[in-house]
Amino acid sequence: MSVEVINVTKKFGHFTALDSVSLKVESGELVALLGPSGSGKTTLLRTIAGLEFPDPGAARVLFYGEDVTQTPASERKAGFAFQHYALFRHMTVFENIAFGLRVRPKTTRPPEEEIRARVQKLLKLIQLEPMAGRYPSQLSGGQRQRVALARALAVEPKVLLLDEPFGALDAKVRKELRRWLRQLHDEIHVTTLFVTHDQEEALEVSDRVAILRAGRIEQIGTPEEIYDRPASPFVYDFLGNVNLFSGRVRDGSMLIGGTEFALSEKTNEAKSAAVAFVRPHDIRVTRASTGPALPALVIRSNAAGPVATLELKRLDGGDDFVVQLSREQFQELRPKPGEQVFVELKNVKVFADDYSI
Amino acid sequence: MTPKSSTAKKNRVLPGFKLTLGFTLFYLGLIVLLPLAAVFGKTFELTWPEFWHTITMPQAMASYRLTFGASFCAALVNTFFGLIVAWVLVRYNFFGKKIVDALVDLPFALPTAVAGITLAMLYSHNGWIGQLLEPLGIQVANTRLGVFVALTFIGLPFIVRTVQPILEDLDPELEEAAASLGANRWQIFWRVILPMLTPALLTGFALAFARALGEYGSVIFIAGNIPMKTVITPLLIMGELDMFDYAKATALAVVMLVASFALLLTINILQWWTNRYNTNNLA
Repeated sequence: MSVEVINVTKKFGHFTALDSVSLKVESGELVALLGPSGSGKTTLLRTIAGLEFPDPGAARVLFYGEDVTQTPASERKAGFAFQHYALFRHMTVFENIAFGLRVRPKTTRPPEEEIRARVQKLLKLIQLEPMAGRYPSQLSGGQRQRVALARALAVEPKVLLLDEPFGALDAKVRKELRRWLRQLHDEIHVTTLFVTHDQEEALEVSDRVAILRAGRIEQIGTPEEIYDRPASPFVYDFLGNVNLFSGRVRDGSMLIGGTEFALSEKTNEAKSAAVAFVRPHDIRVTRASTGPALPALVIRSNAAGPVATLELKRLDGGDDFVVQLSREQFQELRPKPGEQVFVELKNVKVFADDYSI
Repeated sequence: MTPKSSTAKKNRVLPGFKLTLGFTLFYLGLIVLLPLAAVFGKTFELTWPEFWHTITMPQAMASYRLTFGASFCAALVNTFFGLIVAWVLVRYNFFGKKIVDALVDLPFALPTAVAGITLAMLYSHNGWIGQLLEPLGIQVANTRLGVFVALTFIGLPFIVRTVQPILEDLDPELEEAAASLGANRWQIFWRVILPMLTPALLTGFALAFARALGEYGSVIFIAGNIPMKTVITPLLIMGELDMFDYAKATALAVVMLVASFALLLTINILQWWTNRYNTNNLA
């Protein structure tokens, strides 16, 4: 029981938006399509909705086993919410939500009382009951997005597709609404795919995340999986801040400037020139070196916000890098610009194929 | 002046409200209201019974029926076909689109007398179109149908040019949203696109209608001007002027004026009503 995309390729002129992509979304799952702009995530979503069609070939789109590759959007029963809502501005909130029920052919159209009851239920779900008589122009951005969601849900879609659902909202409303979306999903369990370029959003909301790059799925997995075990330097870089240290790999360890650090995953491969990836929060800063550590100079520090940020420069002539400390650690250390410190690197990650960021 | 109103005045972002409003009123007064007032003024030379007799004489009544009836029908037909023309120009790309687009404006630019003579030639019993219609028993030249044809010709650009920009601005996502909700093409057009176009269609209709009411040049050549049959009100007015009966002419003009104003006002109210959802009032 799943929504499945097999071998979908889509070209726009010479630009390849999707390059034989396959993806399987289990029933009731909430999956994020994450990627930079131009990576093909919206095209993939639109292909599932039937708003774009894959290039002829082996491509198939399956809804619960049924082949819908050539089925037009109006017959797919895929609920689609647009980034800019695309509400019908000449209809009230109520009529917007009722639209999908009203356009049904006479034989399957529910009677008027049932339409009313279902719209009322959805209005309650999106917490906008008092707004039923308003026009979209009288609503805030967050309210409009919720109406768009309710409108898509009204037709009881087989799959709910959300294109950058929070993209046009300000940071605070965004956070509220994505938590609300997660709760809503836990309540109604509709199979959902949503597109985002915000890695925090994808990691927080979804059951699984698919990371797209240049029309291909780079990695797919649970948020923990892809964050802890990124399959490629691209994924590593896309999911958070990253520091790069060049050195070499020997006997399963990383040698950086003469100091040996343990790798997060053992490798027997020896490399004369390798790049180590370290997250800013995986670096410990001390005044006196207690183990393998690199000497560094403090350039700048910033303690505003939940985590403090230090900008450091390697004393042995390497590049600048960034460290994130908890407020407590920062209070203990109180580093001053120009001061010398030692850094210990944890979770050092080396990728087989080098990739320049 | 209270202190409150003086701060309000100071805080107005756009300067020159009083100046521009004053200018607008003066300009409208000079260009529009003054000549209209003169029309009314002139009719006061007539006594009430004279005035009433003039505006209700059978020739006048027949001309109102023709003028308003043909103008209304022409504007209605243009609304329908103008929408199709605008639709094709906006939605499709084809060879010669730019030329077709330019052709739409021709009725605007052409001197009306030229249009009238051309139409009269085309539709006369041995003209290109006239000779095809004659075997079918349809006569256009020198009939009311001719008046309608001329008014349709001059009214087309109004609909196309008012609907075109609105259609261009319509977000394709609206149609995609409707489709993903299960609407077929016909439902998308009927329930989503048409309601969005209605205000523009009404504006175009009002403009075409108003233009047709005042049309003279293109009609008189094709209408044949048979008394009680194909004489439009503007021609009747011209006839009175030719006989130097200015008061009678202006009396008829007043009727046209009042009726046109009432109709345009009605259409404006209708247009405001169809556009009521376009509010930014968050209260």
